[in-house]
Amino acid sequence: MKPARRIGLALLLLWSLVPIYWAVRTSLQTESDARATPVQFLPLNPTLENYRTLLTGDGEVPAQIRRSAWNIVIECGAATVVTVLLATLAAYAFARMRFRGRKVIFYTVLATMTLPAYTTLIPLYRIMSQFSLVNTYTGIVLVYVSGFLPLATWVLYNYFSSMPVSLEEAATVDGAGRLQVLWHIVLPLARPGIISTALITFLFAWAQFLFPLVLSSDLSTQPLTVVIAGLQGRHVVPVTLLDAAGVLAIVVPVVLALTFNRYIVNGLLAGSTR
Amino acid sequence: MPRTRSSKLIAALGLTAALVAAGCGAPSVGNKNASDQTSGVTINVVLAAEPPPKALLAEFTEETGITVNWTNLDWDSLQTKISAAAAANTYFADATNVDWSRVGQLGKLGWFTPMETFLDTAAMKDDVPQLASFTSDGHVVGIPYDASFMVTTVNRAMFEKAGIGEMPRTMDDYTDDLRRIKQAGVVEYPLNIPFAAAEGLSTYWYETTAAFGGTVLDAEGNPQFKEPGSAGFQAAQWMIGALKEGLVPPGNINVTDSQGQQTLMATGQVASTFSDYSGTVGTIYDVEGSSKVAGDVEYLPTPGVTGPAANLSNPDAVGIPKQAKYPDAAAKFIDWFASAETQAAFSGLDGPEKIYEAYPLPSHVSAVDRMVNADKLAGGAELVTMLEGSQPVFEGGAPTWYPKFSNAVYTSLHAAATGSMSVEQAVGTIAEAAEDLAGAA
Repeated sequence: MKPARRIGLALLLLWSLVPIYWAVRTSLQTESDARATPVQFLPLNPTLENYRTLLTGDGEVPAQIRRSAWNIVIECGAATVVTVLLATLAAYAFARMRFRGRKVIFYTVLATMTLPAYTTLIPLYRIMSQFSLVNTYTGIVLVYVSGFLPLATWVLYNYFSSMPVSLEEAATVDGAGRLQVLWHIVLPLARPGIISTALITFLFAWAQFLFPLVLSSDLSTQPLTVVIAGLQGRHVVPVTLLDAAGVLAIVVPVVLALTFNRYIVNGLLAGSTR
Repeated sequence: MPRTRSSKLIAALGLTAALVAAGCGAPSVGNKNASDQTSGVTINVVLAAEPPPKALLAEFTEETGITVNWTNLDWDSLQTKISAAAAANTYFADATNVDWSRVGQLGKLGWFTPMETFLDTAAMKDDVPQLASFTSDGHVVGIPYDASFMVTTVNRAMFEKAGIGEMPRTMDDYTDDLRRIKQAGVVEYPLNIPFAAAEGLSTYWYETTAAFGGTVLDAEGNPQFKEPGSAGFQAAQWMIGALKEGLVPPGNINVTDSQGQQTLMATGQVASTFSDYSGTVGTIYDVEGSSKVAGDVEYLPTPGVTGPAANLSNPDAVGIPKQAKYPDAAAKFIDWFASAETQAAFSGLDGPEKIYEAYPLPSHVSAVDRMVNADKLAGGAELVTMLEGSQPVFEGGAPTWYPKFSNAVYTSLHAAATGSMSVEQAVGTIAEAAEDLAGAA
């Protein structure tokens, strides 16, 4: 690698990682150490007390963090399951079945990805309100599904399209029906694509802020991202505890992204080299 | 009918029904299903504040039969929710925040039910001087529940260490004293100005403009700071000059007003904040443990051109959105929450179990008087005087286009602080923005 590229890469890494390092550093300090001057770039007396407080402690803030962590897992998990299920069926139909208007419907679904998400906020809010789905898991999950379904369908469509048709034809010759082919032949082969789609959907859902902010009214449904933002600017919340909460919020996506990095990249590139 | 056409018809009817059910395109009106019940109901109160003490809320519920479901949301998120709910004509709270800076906008848009519909607001005027900040076109949009206003805070110990016995009363003396503190080596950067491009920089400039004896906009929204001799121009020059002269920490380019600015003061890294918030001495700087300057910081009558200047108000109020489900019950809650008696209890006058910890200062002068008489207010005597003389930031209330104006203010002043604009250019840009916005309105 050329020196200029190395320097560029190093700068990019610094730009991305220093804020995260700083949050981790602060979360491992006491409040007085974090505010000490001169600034400690390495925590001299690291402590896990902030994490202990958040995970097992009493008080309003730890209770809020734990409840909202539970909420975000439920909302992202449910949105992922529903999105992958619907996207699998839709993508398979678009990739393999021939019916009138197939291309128009498919490209219409894809075209919705070009709409800025914010333009749908108010209409979705009104629809959810009319059906009494504001401040419910169902409402938030439905909105996530509507937002992520086009991308998930596109990723899986590319994956299904790249698979050879001959295996499915052989199964059909042996008397298998369409759903049997899908269940016994296609899905096992498409497992990497489905895992990619699930990961992409989960990570996108985890990063949501504006939609759950508007669609949730209290702690019964507010995800971690909304609750942590709400803790900022409150003098009663120590900055060390706030940073520990922030680190907890990124742990799940970081672990998923690092562990399944290959699947995510493959999923997003599926079909690009055909 | 062929199957395909039938499917299309069903799909079209379904879509139409969903849109009609959602009421898309309907004008923003009040909640037709609102109830006038004032007992046996649960109301949702959403504010950018901690909930009040449980003991007090329980008393309210016992007295009225109204249960309060309190949600604490940060200020920015709350403003997004208020706008989204109003634009979608959808319920989200029975009572919520009305910020002073959005009064003109909220009043014009009619998103909140005028409070005089429910309460005798005329009778409140004398005891709640900041009610004027929440009046738009003769209607009271919200009732202030605290008395936040801009004040000057000084670390007296640092001033004394620099040999300053008598505290400054004019801008010239104040500036000279800051230079003396720096020269004496008491602290390298004595003055605190939050130069990050954020709302706090705008309010700092408004307060400094008032100190120079002027106002930013007149009652019609015309800019009053274009001429080099004007107060607003001098204020901008003074702020940027202080940074260039080394009176302000260079890192303050990225410091915001809230936690950032106040942390510098609480950790003893600066000697004075010219435009701080009322109540910070008692609630932040005097708090042992989190503050390094406990007992050293006090309020200073804000220095002006020839003597103490007025203090500008930026209080928090609570109002009733048009989509509230229980507006009468919400009004009953606001009447209680913003009353002098409740505010006195918040401030610790009725026992420790009723203290509202994050509460800055009562909006009722009578409640502040009671606190001072009971010796329950750090810097109380000074604060009472400032509260009585506090003035709205804008003569005619905040204009409907305030958010855009404020954006022009803080981005331009920030640019001047970083050196990418001169003070003249920054002030010119702000004036141009004000004229464009006022003209378009």
